[in-house]
Amino acid sequence: MFKIIKYDFIRKYKLLLITIICSILLNLLAVAKNGVNGSFGFLIAFPILIAILYIGDIIKMYSDDLNKKSGYMLFMTSHSGYQVVVSKVITAILEGLTILLLYLIFIIINSLYISFVQGFELNVNIGEVIKAINLVLSGNLGFNLGHVFVFLLTAFVLAISFIMTAYTAITIRKSLFSEVKLGGFLSFVIFVGLNWATSFTSGKLMSALSPNYENAINFGSRISATELVMLLLPVMILSAVESVIMIIGSGYLLEKKINL
Amino acid sequence: MNQILEINNLNKKYYNKVALEDINISFERGKIYGLMGPNGSGKTTLMKVIIGLHKQTSGNVFIDGNPLSYKTKANVSYMPTENFLYDDFKVKDIVKFYEDMYSDFKKEYVMQILKDINVDTEFKVSKLSSGLVGKLKVALALSRDVDIYMLDEPLNGVDVLARDVIMDLITKSHNENKVFIISSHLVSETEKILDSVVFLKEGKLELSGDAEELRQQHGLSIENLYKEVYK
Repeated sequence: MFKIIKYDFIRKYKLLLITIICSILLNLLAVAKNGVNGSFGFLIAFPILIAILYIGDIIKMYSDDLNKKSGYMLFMTSHSGYQVVVSKVITAILEGLTILLLYLIFIIINSLYISFVQGFELNVNIGEVIKAINLVLSGNLGFNLGHVFVFLLTAFVLAISFIMTAYTAITIRKSLFSEVKLGGFLSFVIFVGLNWATSFTSGKLMSALSPNYENAINFGSRISATELVMLLLPVMILSAVESVIMIIGSGYLLEKKINL
Repeated sequence: MNQILEINNLNKKYYNKVALEDINISFERGKIYGLMGPNGSGKTTLMKVIIGLHKQTSGNVFIDGNPLSYKTKANVSYMPTENFLYDDFKVKDIVKFYEDMYSDFKKEYVMQILKDINVDTEFKVSKLSSGLVGKLKVALALSRDVDIYMLDEPLNGVDVLARDVIMDLITKSHNENKVFIISSHLVSETEKILDSVVFLKEGKLELSGDAEELRQQHGLSIENLYKEVYK
């Protein structure tokens, strides 16, 4: 599996490097043109843009392996279907963590810049840096670095779950529906259906835990990062379980029913 | 066991089209088989089922007595007719990929072949001519140490001189423990190295047997027998 992951990154490292360089340049441009507002604007726009690019890239990686002739390179090797899917998910997680790390670096740098511009004096130690970041986030966004971590973690788990619905639909297209007319359309229907099902179960879970959520809303901005993580943990666990089920299903289909 | 590959009652359908119908055949070690048939006869589909890129609709395939699985892929070296190589990789990166993925891969052997057939390892696959890609694919397939080699149209897009080199490589790589299955439209070019032939017609096994026996039985060369079968 390590070798599959290694070659996935070899195939995409240039794209990752270009994305990182473009992000840095975009941040510099935003700050140079609009100062503090540009810096804030970048921190809000970056995760939306990068999430779209990330999910697109990760789905394309899997789709290319199943739909293009170059996929033979992978599927002629003696890896089981389960190993292939798990490797792709690990690649997705590692790439996602790289992007999260990049975003956290942007948060730190931009917060320090904003603090400096606004006249906050800080010594170069980690406590002062976090204090400066929290000052910026609480002043403008209403939360602290802990909240950001929890939001990013939740978004990441949900993104992986969404990616797995796409992987499952692509796998079904190339296995169960490979010999069926309108297989592509049916796979898309399954993709929509899976997303509806995951949203529905998450919604049901949230309804079941509604007293906690109502309490949280009443707390308003005073909810701590720890309380927030406890609040979102059931949804994260549910998404993770759904992802594991889809990984097992996709692995089975790749192993037993594939038609490349 | 002399028999390395056994196919029983194999059927493969796409939509309503029958690609392979009730194929029963076995392949023995030490022989070079020619898989013959025009486009759409089922040659490529049969090979892809054996390597596990396609799943059969029904029937069984056994490799060295084991039913098809990801494990049996380790004993098969397949060269697809399409350019399946990562085109943004350099040739040396492709060689490294094979070295990493296949424990039976002989790097020195492939490097020597690539040198002999003038393939520059610093070139990207996308920059190679179709002839060079063809040679590279053959070299990679033959550089694995397995029991079963399947080459799908190995002479496609390759010039006359290179064809001789490829045929020479195949005969040199062959020994009593290995089986080669070669599909080709160029019957006259491949006939001289074939021990046995398998004719597929519209997904069905039309004729098969020892090449020399078929020549004597029908009083025709394999090329003329091909013309006779598919006229």
